[in-house]
Amino acid sequence: MPPAIQVRALGVRYNLRLTRRNTVRQTFMSLARHKGPTHFWALRDVSFRVDYGESLAVIGPNGAGKSTLLQVLAQILEPTEGMIDVQGRISSLLTLGAGFDPELSGRDNIELAGAFMGMDHRDMRARMPGIIEFADIGQFIDAPIKTYSSGMNARLGFSIATAVDPDVLLLDEVLSTGDATFRAKSQERVMELMRSARAIVLVTHDMHWANEFCNRAILLERGNVVAAGHPSDVVAVHEERSAARQSGHQPDPLPAIVDVGLDAVA
Amino acid sequence: MAAITPNQLRGPATTEAVRPAYRPVRPGPVATLRSTVREIVTHRRLIGYLVRADLKKRGADTFLGNVWWFLDPLLTMLVYVILVSVILQSTQEAYPLFIFCAILPWKWFSASVADAVTCVTTKEKVIKQVRFPKVVLPVAATVGGLVSFVFGLVPLGAMLIILFPNHISAMILLLPVVAAVQFVLTFAICLLAAAITVFYRDIGNLAGHLLRIWFYLSPALYSSQRIQSIATNHPQLYSIYTLNPFAGLFESYRNLIYYGQPPEWGLLGIVLVEASILVVLSVIVFRRLEPSFAKVL
Repeated sequence: MPPAIQVRALGVRYNLRLTRRNTVRQTFMSLARHKGPTHFWALRDVSFRVDYGESLAVIGPNGAGKSTLLQVLAQILEPTEGMIDVQGRISSLLTLGAGFDPELSGRDNIELAGAFMGMDHRDMRARMPGIIEFADIGQFIDAPIKTYSSGMNARLGFSIATAVDPDVLLLDEVLSTGDATFRAKSQERVMELMRSARAIVLVTHDMHWANEFCNRAILLERGNVVAAGHPSDVVAVHEERSAARQSGHQPDPLPAIVDVGLDAVA
Repeated sequence: MAAITPNQLRGPATTEAVRPAYRPVRPGPVATLRSTVREIVTHRRLIGYLVRADLKKRGADTFLGNVWWFLDPLLTMLVYVILVSVILQSTQEAYPLFIFCAILPWKWFSASVADAVTCVTTKEKVIKQVRFPKVVLPVAATVGGLVSFVFGLVPLGAMLIILFPNHISAMILLLPVVAAVQFVLTFAICLLAAAITVFYRDIGNLAGHLLRIWFYLSPALYSSQRIQSIATNHPQLYSIYTLNPFAGLFESYRNLIYYGQPPEWGLLGIVLVEASILVVLSVIVFRRLEPSFAKVL
């Protein structure tokens, strides 16, 4: 069986001339000046793979490219170079919550979410009661999303993301939202998905989560995979390097794990 | 699913050698057009939801709700009737009907374009979270305008029956033909507006002014004979004027509703050719820029 996710020599480049220069004047000014870097590699030479039934934790400091990686896996961003192969249905309600359209009710948003994800509407309607029950937001389901608290929004979002029977589930820090009861419930749901041989990629700053619920981990720094392997080992590397950074030292630049990344994770 | 071949997987292990093999391949124009049509067809339900959500919102939080769909074109017409027939003392017979023939389709066009300008940028969050064909957004903007056009036909019909029954003719049945041509044109402009605004938000500020100039340059409040008589000494000037797609469209609508004549087939044909070329170009531009949306937003 092919792995659920296979990534090889992946690179994503941002054009700084276009990003955040939203007026014609600024573009001309920056083109005229020829100053500063024109490109920025958010990810480069990233290789790893995730098999069915595995859950991969992606850890690393802010700005390391973790969220970009999830966006590429969700096929929201196109890789600039390298190859990426994801098998099956991807669910990628990364940090959105349920807010597809804040003016519409929760129920309408569930339908809209299904349509955006390319689900059949009958299928989505059949899943609706399950989603509503799991989100547990009571009569608010018929109120516009804009009236929801952030916790309710996250709950409905998680509920939709996991209810569509994804083969590959991409989660970005969503597990830290919601109250204790809902967190326990969502942990249980993630474990359930893992048991039924789904692949999960989880971006997290919660080392406890990485250790406890993931069986692989990669450490991203400046767009490169610098460590890969068992979560406890990778977390140890990450914590050591974070501690060095906090005490003002620059940790040794680790060589990026390039093509050996595949074997290092596998 | 990104395409991979087994050969590439077994390929050399050094990144430098691997890189060129995985550079993305850009599809040709024909493949782009075909895949765009497929995307629209497979996502027609999403388009439906988007249009319905938009209509729901327009009526929401207002006292009159859905009545606004009929009231809005009527009030616009009233403004121009006061301006032109009362203040400027126009002698055009049945002037309210005369301008309503142009205001109604223009409302569709301007509402769609105004919607299209913001349709991608306001969906920023969704675009960064879910993969879906972005072309559905300008399609929804175009269809949303069409729906308000169809609602506007109700006050038009009422006006014809109550005030100007002598203008009614069977030619009105040809309205969908003219509307179809306008749909192609509107969709093309919406695609361009949506894609370019992502990179240059200036378009949002510019659009209102451009639309207003376009409206006054088109024979909406006056007939194109007026321009013809002004340009008698320069016939080529009038030919340039007829290149404006809304010259042909407004005259055709007016023929059907006001004069009870067949549409200006010649002019309408030119509009269709212009719109078709434009829609092909717009689709290619849109699809070419689409992958960058999530990065730039």
